[in-house]
Amino acid sequence: MGMNGGGGGGGGGMGNACYVYPGAPATPGFVTPDVLFQRGIYMNGSMRFDDGNSVTIWGFTDLAAGGGGGAGGDQMGGGSFPSPAIRVTEGQIVHTALSVNMMWMHTIHHHGIEPSTENDGVGHLSWDVTGGTYTYQWRPLHAGTYFYHCHVNTPLHAEMGMYGALIVDPKPTPGDPAGTKRAFYNGPKYDVEAIWACDEIDPNWHTLPWYAGTCGGDVGLNNLNPRYFIITGVDGASSALTNPAVAVNMTLGQTLLVRYICAGFYPQKISFGGLTASVVASDGRPLPAAWNTGAIEAHSAERYDCIIKPTSRGTWTVTVQFFHWRTGAVLGTAKTRITVA
Amino acid sequence: MERRGFLKAGTAGFASLVSGAGLLTWAPRSEAATISKTLYITAGTHTMPDGVSVYIKGFSDSSADLNVPATPIVCQEGDTLEITIINRLAVTHNFVIGGLKAGDPPLVSSGDIAGGGSKTITYTIPTGKAGSYLFYDNKTSYNVFLGLHGGLAIMPAGSSNQLYSGSPTFVKQLFWVFNDIDPALNSAVQHGTTVPTSFTPRYFTINGQTSLPPGAVGFDDPTRDAMANPETQLAGSVGDRTLIRMLNAGMCSHAVHTHANHMEWLTDRGTVRGSVWKKDVLYLRNQLGKIDAIYPFEAPPDAYPPVTTGHFPMHLHDEMSQTAGGGMYLFGAMTDIVFK
Repeated sequence: MGMNGGGGGGGGGMGNACYVYPGAPATPGFVTPDVLFQRGIYMNGSMRFDDGNSVTIWGFTDLAAGGGGGAGGDQMGGGSFPSPAIRVTEGQIVHTALSVNMMWMHTIHHHGIEPSTENDGVGHLSWDVTGGTYTYQWRPLHAGTYFYHCHVNTPLHAEMGMYGALIVDPKPTPGDPAGTKRAFYNGPKYDVEAIWACDEIDPNWHTLPWYAGTCGGDVGLNNLNPRYFIITGVDGASSALTNPAVAVNMTLGQTLLVRYICAGFYPQKISFGGLTASVVASDGRPLPAAWNTGAIEAHSAERYDCIIKPTSRGTWTVTVQFFHWRTGAVLGTAKTRITVA
Repeated sequence: MERRGFLKAGTAGFASLVSGAGLLTWAPRSEAATISKTLYITAGTHTMPDGVSVYIKGFSDSSADLNVPATPIVCQEGDTLEITIINRLAVTHNFVIGGLKAGDPPLVSSGDIAGGGSKTITYTIPTGKAGSYLFYDNKTSYNVFLGLHGGLAIMPAGSSNQLYSGSPTFVKQLFWVFNDIDPALNSAVQHGTTVPTSFTPRYFTINGQTSLPPGAVGFDDPTRDAMANPETQLAGSVGDRTLIRMLNAGMCSHAVHTHANHMEWLTDRGTVRGSVWKKDVLYLRNQLGKIDAIYPFEAPPDAYPPVTTGHFPMHLHDEMSQTAGGGMYLFGAMTDIVFK
């Protein structure tokens, strides 16, 4: 099937896709940025679970780091999962240049960042990037925890793994020694950071093509039946208990900042294993007052910034429960650890 | 930027329906009043975006209408509600106004209304009941899912711009009533067969409609497209702070996500929160969950160069809800946020 969507996509489509809006125009009001991120894509990565099974993963690559996946290639390789983090400082003018070849359509929506329509990455209100590069231009005003993800056929593309952390660090607070880390301007300091993007995986969805269901037909995108529960790309069955990219090792006296991202589609509850978290911010905004809690219930795409100061040495098991959106049944649990030496 | 202004044949559109109005107008009174309303329980079918016809029921404005959700009712503390419910169907139904807070008993219940019968409920609203309410049918656990639901806004006496006495103020207000439809349930009710014990919703609506993207039949038609319906669409200029009364009549929990601005989160399940958090996602519980929040209509803070106009989506981030019939992304519970 050829492209018959006309100049803006719509009911025709591209390849086998419908209701897509191809484009890669110039960025309105383009200026020289303070920081540039160059993202390609990969459409044939994989993730292996603790039971030995694996699924196909899609994601974004870091072209500047030689990650491959530029628009000039077939973008059929693999890459890191989650996708490489975007980390900036509040007030910087940021460019995220997304390159996609003409075989696919993707966008980057910087979730929680609130730019102009053209730079929001929502295809039906702007365009789906294909056959070139679009540069998203934005300037974050608020420090905090965000994430970025593809906003094309989003149920599928986000489930397939097309997301990564987006951290906006605060400007330095006057008087702070160099290297001081704070959650937000004049906010709480921390020494150790963990980014826990908690997600559920339905292997049946991971066999679908990128345009699945867009022209109609039942491909099951209303019905998520996850079998695996992961933390930041690591199986929460057992690997995340010790994987150094997820599990926290710190020393007594240090302060931990957990950036918890509800990256799945179902409700979750994260419990800190008996530790008390001082929740200082959510969705990139400081709370009016810190909220002390041992657990947080969250739904898809919420973020919570949690300061944890253990008062003794030991090991605490953090659990993330995933609940069915209708029945509330616990579908699975992912676990990791905080170890204080 | 205008929404895409072209039409192109796509999949079958949502059947024209008399959708309950969401945008509320209100002028406070110094004296209490009696608010009289007649609701007709009616039934019919709607065509979903994939062409599937689904049987639904509603609390309608006339016996010839099928309003899903019902036209909202707005009143103030001290008013007396006098609501007559006429059951135009053959089976027994009822009418309740849910309590303010989770676990509260209903404000008022009609009791059974036999097929072909009617009941009138009268309720004088005491002080302290300002807030957002769902009225619905709880004769069965599933009648609410069929469409028998609507929103009731009780304003603080004498106020036009507060959710409750002392709340942050707003300029405009509207309802977003969410529902999830499993056609197997609706079909069983229509045909009198055994009602399923487990549901898998296939359609997801906001104020009785789904979004229809550019290119779809019905795109930009406010009688069909939730993105274009002025009763649902969040439209305003910078400074037009808008109270959104979110009611979940459906079977699933949802994550309500706004682009372009964070929301000021005022209540959860009727309870006023201790402080106002600014959130871009709010956890709207199922089992009749509800949330009140203000969309502040501030210039999108992270735009460079700065902008004050544009189109952005409000969508549910549990992305299964953005589909219809197991596919058709962009035909779900979504609306347009318009910065004029």
